[in-house]
Amino acid sequence: MVKALVMTGFGLNCDLETSYALRVAGAQVERVHLNSLIEGRKSLDAFRIFVIGGGFSWGDDHGAGVIMAMRLKHRLQDRIGAFVAQGGVVIGICNGFQVLVNLGLLPGFEPGVMKREVALIANDCGGFRDQWVNLSVNTASHCVLSSGLDRFELPVRHGEGKFFAEPAVIENLKARGQIFLRYANPQSTPALGEFPHNPNGSVEDIAGICDATGRVAGLMPHPEAFNHFTNHPDWTYLREKYSREQKPIPEEGDGIKLFRNAVNYFN
Amino acid sequence: MITRLEIALKPHLFDPEGAGLCRRVGDYFGWRIGEARVMDMLTLDTGLAQEELEEARVAIFTNPVTQVSAFAAGVGQTDLMSSYFSDVDWAIWVGYRPGVRDTAGSVAMEAIADLLGKAPAEGEAAYTSRLYLLKNAPLSRTQAETIARELLANEIIQEWKVYKGSDWLTGAGVDIVAPRVLLAHKPSVCEVALESDGQLAELSDQRNLALNRKDIPVIRNYFLRPQVLKERAKFGLSVPTDVELEAISQARSDHCNHNTFRGKFRYVDIAAGERFTVDNLFKSCIQAPTLKIRDEKDWVVSVLWDNAGVARFDSRFNYSVTGETHNSPSNMEAYGGSLTGIVGIYRDIMGVGKGARLVAGLYGYCVGPRDYRGPLKPHLHPKRLLDGIVAGVKDGGNKHGVPTEFGNLFFDPSYLGKCLVFVAALGIMPKEIEGQPSELKCPAQGDLIIMSGGRVGKDGIHGVTASSESYGASTPAGHVQIGDPYTQKKMHDFLLEARDEGLITHITDNGGGGLSSSVGESAALAGGAHVELDKVPLKYEGLDVWEIWISESQERMTIAVKPDDLDRFMALSRKHDVESTVIGRYENSGKLRLDYGQRTCALLDLSLFSEDFPQWEFDAQWLSPEMRGLTEPVLGQPKEFGPLLTSLLSTPNLCSREWIQRQYDHEVQGGSAVKFLTGRDRDVPNDAAVIRAVLDSTTGLAVAQALLPTYSVIDTYHMVAAVIDESVRRILAVGGKLDEIGGVDNFCWPSIQYDPVQNPDGRYKAAQLVRANLALRDLCLAWSIPLLSGKDSMYVDGALPGDFGESHKVSGLPTMLFTATGIVENVLKSQTMEAKCAGDLVYLLGCTADELGGSAYYDLLGYTGLNVPKVPGFNGPNVFDKDKCEALLDLYRGVEKALSSGLAASCHGIYRGGLGVHAALVALGARLGLTIDLSKMIVQDENLPDAHRLFSESCGRFLVTVRPEYAEEFEKIFAGLPCGLLGEVTQNPQLVIIAGSGREIVRENISSLRGAWMGEI
Repeated sequence: MVKALVMTGFGLNCDLETSYALRVAGAQVERVHLNSLIEGRKSLDAFRIFVIGGGFSWGDDHGAGVIMAMRLKHRLQDRIGAFVAQGGVVIGICNGFQVLVNLGLLPGFEPGVMKREVALIANDCGGFRDQWVNLSVNTASHCVLSSGLDRFELPVRHGEGKFFAEPAVIENLKARGQIFLRYANPQSTPALGEFPHNPNGSVEDIAGICDATGRVAGLMPHPEAFNHFTNHPDWTYLREKYSREQKPIPEEGDGIKLFRNAVNYFN
Repeated sequence: MITRLEIALKPHLFDPEGAGLCRRVGDYFGWRIGEARVMDMLTLDTGLAQEELEEARVAIFTNPVTQVSAFAAGVGQTDLMSSYFSDVDWAIWVGYRPGVRDTAGSVAMEAIADLLGKAPAEGEAAYTSRLYLLKNAPLSRTQAETIARELLANEIIQEWKVYKGSDWLTGAGVDIVAPRVLLAHKPSVCEVALESDGQLAELSDQRNLALNRKDIPVIRNYFLRPQVLKERAKFGLSVPTDVELEAISQARSDHCNHNTFRGKFRYVDIAAGERFTVDNLFKSCIQAPTLKIRDEKDWVVSVLWDNAGVARFDSRFNYSVTGETHNSPSNMEAYGGSLTGIVGIYRDIMGVGKGARLVAGLYGYCVGPRDYRGPLKPHLHPKRLLDGIVAGVKDGGNKHGVPTEFGNLFFDPSYLGKCLVFVAALGIMPKEIEGQPSELKCPAQGDLIIMSGGRVGKDGIHGVTASSESYGASTPAGHVQIGDPYTQKKMHDFLLEARDEGLITHITDNGGGGLSSSVGESAALAGGAHVELDKVPLKYEGLDVWEIWISESQERMTIAVKPDDLDRFMALSRKHDVESTVIGRYENSGKLRLDYGQRTCALLDLSLFSEDFPQWEFDAQWLSPEMRGLTEPVLGQPKEFGPLLTSLLSTPNLCSREWIQRQYDHEVQGGSAVKFLTGRDRDVPNDAAVIRAVLDSTTGLAVAQALLPTYSVIDTYHMVAAVIDESVRRILAVGGKLDEIGGVDNFCWPSIQYDPVQNPDGRYKAAQLVRANLALRDLCLAWSIPLLSGKDSMYVDGALPGDFGESHKVSGLPTMLFTATGIVENVLKSQTMEAKCAGDLVYLLGCTADELGGSAYYDLLGYTGLNVPKVPGFNGPNVFDKDKCEALLDLYRGVEKALSSGLAASCHGIYRGGLGVHAALVALGARLGLTIDLSKMIVQDENLPDAHRLFSESCGRFLVTVRPEYAEEFEKIFAGLPCGLLGEVTQNPQLVIIAGSGREIVRENISSLRGAWMGEI
């Protein structure tokens, strides 16, 4: 069974549902406190999937994910580097994505080099928002999370999720297929920056990117929060519709698919 | 060395906060600002070398992709940075006052220590502040100062300075301030002479002890008792110390002791000539019914003694729930007050039984009109107050990782005196921990007393006694503080791990009263405690001993741990980066003993707190609405029902509140099943929220709240009855089981103690409280609803200055917020309020009567009326109609059955605003039309006019849409019960309402109703 580590501590907070989603996807999951990793009570080596999930590490003070990234850099940089080099999958969701870009593991143009080249900054709308977004997958991307997927909906819940990088970096990301997820409008065409379909003003509607290997991925939307059909805001409507059309009522949420991709990558 | 780091977004990046400031300046004052940029400032008071500071600047505090930064002295200065200050008209600096919680400042120190690999030296600190640069802002200094004072800073916790742009640039008059707390004060304990009752009373006033006059002789007598004196002498004590008196003051405060609810009420109904005495409202109206129901219902697990109530969730887990208010602090500092309120209620859940995991938070705000322009001058204008309150709960909930699931907002001018901020929380706990029931706890003799979480400072001192008084000029501002959800979240995770390892024998939170309450209450269970107050970790030196004991510094829990488990407990505490300190030990001494520096400074018999303190007494005179001159208004029937309905939908109390809920993370933890905001546009408020509190369980936990303060103007009995009915219907509407509904009562009431000058209508307000409690008792008993938890908050009064410097007493409407919780057996069966498919039939369940008193319709037209909605069966105190009550419960059981058998495509209670408003919401949530015929309604009197049919707020009603194929089965459930088939759901997105004679009185496009409801008109 593929073993996954979901990091906890210092204000991270989506660990329970992330663990649940990974279990549903077929992984064997352990929640591990950052200090247990730092102090060596637990080792990344025992795992194939490493998730830094949502939350407010260090209360988002001094920039979302900044302080956590610094701690990882000073205490675990080598071990994380080795984990990636040995073929592990790293997933950063929301606060975890913010951590990965501040750590410089993303965009990770060159394997083994951690450099801060992109940022997730305050939403253009001026504050925290919890809403569902339509997402479209860049099928040309080599990201392991999104393979075989095309479009789905997930909630975003953040105040600092605007993806920003200077034009040269964006071009690079595009050229290398590292943008795997974009905000779309309900018709699945690009949101083109339009609020609220693009909820935060992200450049190029970017919702998620991966590194050069496709095994390190970060995204602002929360796949673990669509772990069950009833998470979807329209599920009571869809239930009614499906039942009148004599279609089966699903129980699983689409977010599980991303985790299943991560697990299946090793199977 | 003190230095200041200035950090800014690169100039070519959009600054959303600055844009927001420009918007708000326009919105609040009508002034135009071309551009605003916000800079973060970090003042470092450290002994770090220049290179070290520079390393921290680059590595931690400056994002190379998006930010530029420089030290004020010029280090790191770039052209980019200095260009920032060109064209600045005004620079406004805002920083915290000394001693105010600055989490970002402490995180900065932690990060620097981590980076440089060395711990901060004694006294080193970092302080955050902000600089707002206003460009293209043709404002006078007075205007800039107004922005600083009214929009950016709250002078209770913050300081501000306004600079002309050019002055800031040249540094003229700009100094670098480190708001260090320096208390050149040697902690002391002083003794208090007890010559006379009068002397003690005087001392109480001087020290802000808020001791009740009647308690004073009891306190004095205790200290004069020979046995007490003898025992005290052994510890070097004679007359009471200030520590002891402060401790007694906390324990006896109305906030902690609920003296009002435990009082004796001599009630007289003047019109009816009826008289009776209620001895202890709490015991007779809350405790007795709940204990009776607990004995009948196996799902009620733990009530009436702990921080929160506990009830069964499923076969493996229990849930806990509680609610309270944080009115006084929020009224002073809206953001800090509500933030402290929400994280405070979370701690109640963390401290229920051996500890529960938080799964939901809820909110309720009652404030003055947002656009208030009258002569009264509240401390904070309602608009700013509300913005601050909303933001406090946002940060508290979001940063704690707790979904904020449901909430209320109600505007009324009576809340100008003091706003109401209700907070509630739900938790989940396994039924057993290591084979022991998780809801039970008791510290044993010899257990260590441990304080975990934050440190103790001067914050919150006398918070408890301040909330036990009305708001006025002498209220000490020092009781306001800022909560820290980050620290508390770490503690939450730590404590759950400690709980699961069986390390906790007792746990409770430090809220009102601080250690004096938490240790005092747990010592009572253990039979005694000995605390060494010099062990308590402090934020800064200089606190007096009594201050350490009663400080309300946040984010602290008090835990009892067996000595053998200490090492493991401390290891977990370190792992989670939580500070824990042994501060004493539980003993079997029957006493509370406090030492400071080897010297005993308090020795109180625990029995003192249950001593025979005189019961508070109140005269309660009920004046019937008729005696008060209330009548129904003389109103002709409206001719323009469409515009009338449109106007109602746009009123502040009925319009969309999406803007609030959207800011709250309501989906964290992944269990959100029925969201508060529903419908195709995901913005219409649903009746209740349902969560999968345990992700691998199919059980749903439903929760909803209601409040109807305008009904209090007519009769508080019916106000409370209607509120409970509404909350119960809200639970039923999402698929909850009638037999497993629990309640939490939160009373907010103006002062009820009669005073011929200060409170001339005190007796009437006391009668309002009695009637409200009688309704609570009657409904809970008849419907078998246990009160799982509850709290009262009195003194909802304010003294507001008017135009001429005169002060006006403004009392809040008597308000009760009721939180209902319920179990949805299979979460996949839960339902939402919006219609689903065109062609479905629309049924109105329940009977509509002439009940517009206190309604939104009358309110719109400027009336109160007389005919307040009455819950069928409950006609008033001691006037109970069992048959009607049973018939209503039959209807409710029918709703439960219809939903559990999947017959309803939507279900929505009819609440404030009546059928008209709620039918519109059912339609606009669906983006479909509705055609309904008012003549098909089941009404009490066939002559009921159209306006009454549309806007009456009669209780006990639901609007249900049903697939035509299921109509027969649906109608069978409601045979013999009030069930009217009013019409159908239509594809054509219009709300069409037909009156008696086939006359069409409303035909409105859903889009225009939606526009009105969203505030677009």
